[in-house]
Amino acid sequence: MTPLEFEASHAAAWTELEAMLHRPERELEPERFLALYRGSCEQLALAQARGVPEHVVERLARLTANAHQIIYRRADFGFARLAEALLQRFPAMVRGHWRYVAIAALLLVGPALSVGVAVYRQPELIYSLVSADTVAQFEQMYGPGAEAIGRVRNAGTDWQMFGFYIQNNISIAFQCYVMGIVFGVGSVFFLCFNGLQIGAVAGFVAERGYGGAFFPFVATHSAFELTAIVFCGGAGLRLGASVLSPGRLPRVAALQAAARDTSFIVFGAAVMLVIAALLEAFWSSAAWVAPRAKYVCAAFCWLLVLLFFLRRPRAD
Amino acid sequence: MNPPIDTIVTAETPEGISIALRPAGFPVRCTAFLIDALIRIMIFGAVAQLLRSAGQFGMGLLLITAFAISWLYPILFELTPAAATPGKRTMGLTVMMANGLPITPAGCLIRNLLRAVDALPLFYGFGVVSMLLRADARRLGDLAAGTTVVYRAASPRPGSFAAAEPVAPPLPLTARQRAAITAFAWRAQRLTPERAEEIATLAAAACGAAPARDVRLRLVGIARWLHGQRAMPPAPIASPGA
Repeated sequence: MTPLEFEASHAAAWTELEAMLHRPERELEPERFLALYRGSCEQLALAQARGVPEHVVERLARLTANAHQIIYRRADFGFARLAEALLQRFPAMVRGHWRYVAIAALLLVGPALSVGVAVYRQPELIYSLVSADTVAQFEQMYGPGAEAIGRVRNAGTDWQMFGFYIQNNISIAFQCYVMGIVFGVGSVFFLCFNGLQIGAVAGFVAERGYGGAFFPFVATHSAFELTAIVFCGGAGLRLGASVLSPGRLPRVAALQAAARDTSFIVFGAAVMLVIAALLEAFWSSAAWVAPRAKYVCAAFCWLLVLLFFLRRPRAD
Repeated sequence: MNPPIDTIVTAETPEGISIALRPAGFPVRCTAFLIDALIRIMIFGAVAQLLRSAGQFGMGLLLITAFAISWLYPILFELTPAAATPGKRTMGLTVMMANGLPITPAGCLIRNLLRAVDALPLFYGFGVVSMLLRADARRLGDLAAGTTVVYRAASPRPGSFAAAEPVAPPLPLTARQRAAITAFAWRAQRLTPERAEEIATLAAAACGAAPARDVRLRLVGIARWLHGQRAMPPAPIASPGA
């Protein structure tokens, strides 16, 4: 069969497929489309093997590639999948990576506790950890007379702070995650660094006797915020581990597998951080809520988060 | 077989067909990025102007906008059917999985989150180095997500064979040789006669004992014969006014 005959005998099918590709997807007749696609695959293979002129191969290849895109397009990332990713895959992935998450938690809590205790015992230590301006800010945020707890005076309304918290918290969590790609060093650094900061503030504020304002403030939203940061850090450690010891896979493939798994964790953590920002802006900072009410709410939130991740996985 | 001298990478489909992808190199992606940056700045400026009167509430919304522009802008645009940000679209690029499939939401999320790593240590340093070192010009985020930025397939140029008497090739040709000769004949009309002659002499061996100056016509003739023509087609009807 010469290329001329080849082209002549299939031109009708190609034209039909080309016309189909230009129509909206919902108007496609699936059987006919698939039949034409399979035909074009077959003819493309033949054309490539037989040295059919380049322009014919090109047309056919383009046709096949476009049809291939439509057939394999993922059109099902709807709400059902979103809920499944958030409610099933996310906790399952966190449980599956519990070793990394535990290490990340240690890396955050360890420095926080030790620095917290150290600063509580020796308050002047705080000046070697944060700048004097920041210390003055802490006094303003949690000291007596703060109209909204946890904010510098004139810092803005709840809405303004909500925007700031989202930006700030998600940036920190993303840093903890993506910097893990540098052999995990980045995750370790950012976890320790943030733990250190948290410990410094808590120790300083407690020593000054502002704890009555500070601890009710952080208790509630930290249930979502700290856990999310720990999860992101753990996910980052997994990225680093895949680069350091890829096992039987090539490094890039190991990294891809790690990124695929941990993407669910990061996605879920981002949602948790938005919840945390909402709480932090509108509930934690409200000076009119009694500390006791905040502690009860905090206990409820921590319980909720723990149960969500510790509950028995659904058998699948 | 010699390695190809162009940057085309092939992806195999489940049907066993290989699809050619043309990876977009550093300059074109840099241009696309700059166009996007311009659009982002304009969006931010417009929102800032709108919210100026809204006071502190407006400041909060502005911060959320800044967040959305920096993190969500590429994610949202790459999840549209075009799978490209406006900048990439302008440059004729699109993002797809490295296996030639449409980009998945997870892939899109990862490649855009990892911009933070590509942006290290300064001005997308890691990303640029990775793109320049790799033949398929993928940055670290692309590698982790299994995605790649490619040129959208261009519509093939219309063309035709130059006029020549179909001739049977004097010696048996391989499939690649046949493809090369027909590709040449298809292009010959868009080349200057001198250049066409120059290229044709490279294939003089395939023409047998043709006089040197006829090589181009002989090649086109062979291409026509290979293509399936056995006789000179009737002269085209002159268009009116010609």
